[in-house]
Amino acid sequence: MRFVELLSEAEVRRTHEASLEVLETVGILAHFAPAREVFKKHGCTVDDETGLVRFPAAVVEKYRKMAPPSFTFRGRDPQYDRTIPDDGPIVVTGSSAPNVVDPVTGVERRATSTDIANIAHLINELPGFDVFSISTLADDAPEGQFSLSRFYPALKNCLKPVRSNTPNMDDLRQVVELGELIAGGKEAYAQRPIINHHYCPMVSPLTMDVDSTEAVMWLTERGLPVYTTVVPNAGLTSPMTLMGTLVVGNAEFLAITVFQQMVKEGTPVIYASLPTVADMRTGAYAPGAIETGILLAAQAQLAHFYGVPSGGYIGLTNAHSNDAQSGFETGMNTVLGVTAGATLLNMGGLFSSLMAFDFAKAVVDNEIALMDKRAYRGLEFSEENLALDEIAAVGPGGSYMSRKHTKSRMKTTAVLPRLAARDMRQQWEDAGRPTIDDRALAEARRILAQPNEAVWDGELDAKIREHFAGLVAGDATPLEG
Amino acid sequence: MADADHFDKLKQSIIDQDEDQVLAAVNAALDDGVEAKAIIDQGLLPGLNVIGEQFECEDIFLPELMQAALAFQAAMVILEPKIKEQGAAGEKKGKIVLGTVKGDLHSIGKNILKLLYETSGFEVWDLGIDVDLFQFVDKAKEVDADIIAMSALLTTTLVGQRDVIEALKDQGQRDNFKVIIGGGATTKEWADTIGADGWAASAYEAVTLSAKLVS
Repeated sequence: MRFVELLSEAEVRRTHEASLEVLETVGILAHFAPAREVFKKHGCTVDDETGLVRFPAAVVEKYRKMAPPSFTFRGRDPQYDRTIPDDGPIVVTGSSAPNVVDPVTGVERRATSTDIANIAHLINELPGFDVFSISTLADDAPEGQFSLSRFYPALKNCLKPVRSNTPNMDDLRQVVELGELIAGGKEAYAQRPIINHHYCPMVSPLTMDVDSTEAVMWLTERGLPVYTTVVPNAGLTSPMTLMGTLVVGNAEFLAITVFQQMVKEGTPVIYASLPTVADMRTGAYAPGAIETGILLAAQAQLAHFYGVPSGGYIGLTNAHSNDAQSGFETGMNTVLGVTAGATLLNMGGLFSSLMAFDFAKAVVDNEIALMDKRAYRGLEFSEENLALDEIAAVGPGGSYMSRKHTKSRMKTTAVLPRLAARDMRQQWEDAGRPTIDDRALAEARRILAQPNEAVWDGELDAKIREHFAGLVAGDATPLEG
Repeated sequence: MADADHFDKLKQSIIDQDEDQVLAAVNAALDDGVEAKAIIDQGLLPGLNVIGEQFECEDIFLPELMQAALAFQAAMVILEPKIKEQGAAGEKKGKIVLGTVKGDLHSIGKNILKLLYETSGFEVWDLGIDVDLFQFVDKAKEVDADIIAMSALLTTTLVGQRDVIEALKDQGQRDNFKVIIGGGATTKEWADTIGADGWAASAYEAVTLSAKLVS
């Protein structure tokens, strides 16, 4: 399929050059001293007093070309491994919301490790999702187990790749230890690292932080999978033009990519982003606005130019319930992304601009994800698909309904939605006028009432629980009510 | 020019969000012998009040509010020394210790708040970003602050806000300060959970909330 291109070839090149100019003349503020050493050693100009790093264009060009063309997410079960762009678009849940909309009371509250276990089970079963990025925090985390209380229930209840971040190095080491226990040892884990790490070390505009940069460097040195997201916000952390925002975000992507290649040549990356335009009436964050989709589409084009996979947090919403806004923000933006060739969609399950997870929203987003994947397949042009023999066989005035040709393709040509209404109005009235939220929540309940086949065996669980004393239970439970 | 005309001009220049015009109006008023305190109280602040009202009903947007505040701040650079000379130090509404919590480097919202605090008559100690919990506590004790105001944008750094409140309790200092929180990762419910004295959805609301807390 041909992807939508918002920029001409010359405009892409100029955007790239403009980003090089920013890196060379404005530079990046790097707060983590060892990162500055890496930059210094590989040809950047570093001012240790201010922390400012300037990148000669030739240095950026040399290292950014070392980034390989694909990135692999690994799950506990290898059949769920996904490599982008070839297996794309892959759909990922939104992550690290502090709250959850309680599926019984409908009231937003702090999320717990039990919620994470339930969400992991749900995502494991929903076919539209490929990667479980741990959707919430765990408010019940015991002291010293902030991240463990998220990764343990997530990994225990989901065979698909699990992805998330950690706030500090102690947590990161703990989480990798957990991965090694699951894999059966350090070596086995190095072969198949099943925890997929993600950080935002670039703080717009043009700044590298300490904690996330340290984590990215540590993981990159060890060859463990990690990718980063750039997050420019027009009007606050980037200029109030989409092009200026594209340039700032692109310079940031180049800086962190070059950094990772300097640490270890050939480290896989993703051009991932969450570009937004702040609502200038109040300064409000607006990740569901259409401008996010436009910018992400342009970044997909730049990523194509750089030969790396792309995507990011697209399809988020500012809405607080499963209303029309929630649907149009997730739907319109993800369509813009996939038609431009983005193959990573961090879209599922969150309301209120990343503040709260909602079970029904995740089920709705699963359906949107299936539509996005269908849109990405496009028309599937082929001689066979022109179906000329079939057109001739049926002839004028005939029907295709009872044909073998139709029967053999009826489940693959079109998305068969479970939630979208296709019945007549009277049928809908008779069913008590169910909303999309009602239907989605019922589907979440149905799934979570089933036993979870993904949970690992008792022997492994005992080993993990012995290693990490006081660990949360991490078990999924059917939704009440 | 009569004093009243100066006040009109000062007020209008703030409403127009034009720093050059504000500075010109301030200098013209000073040249005519208008007192610095009167320039602020009867010229600039009435202008800021109009700006606040316009912002609340979305007649103007955040960048316009910011420009008006920056113009006011530029005028204060001239006026503050004169007020001190005259020994008529302006009454501060309250003392604020402000910062973004540990692990979090996001400063833009906090900086907007700082500006709005200062233009609203608060005295601010800005501890910056990535602020350790004891820095908040120590500075608040040192300056005898009225309010500790903490920002967090990342959900993973939120706990830093709770840590400060817990540290204040441990030291028996909780009742000595009001603690308010804000930032993209926070909610009213989180503020209630950790026992903060208040939460604001925006910098503008934070100033209104603070004024209420110190009154």
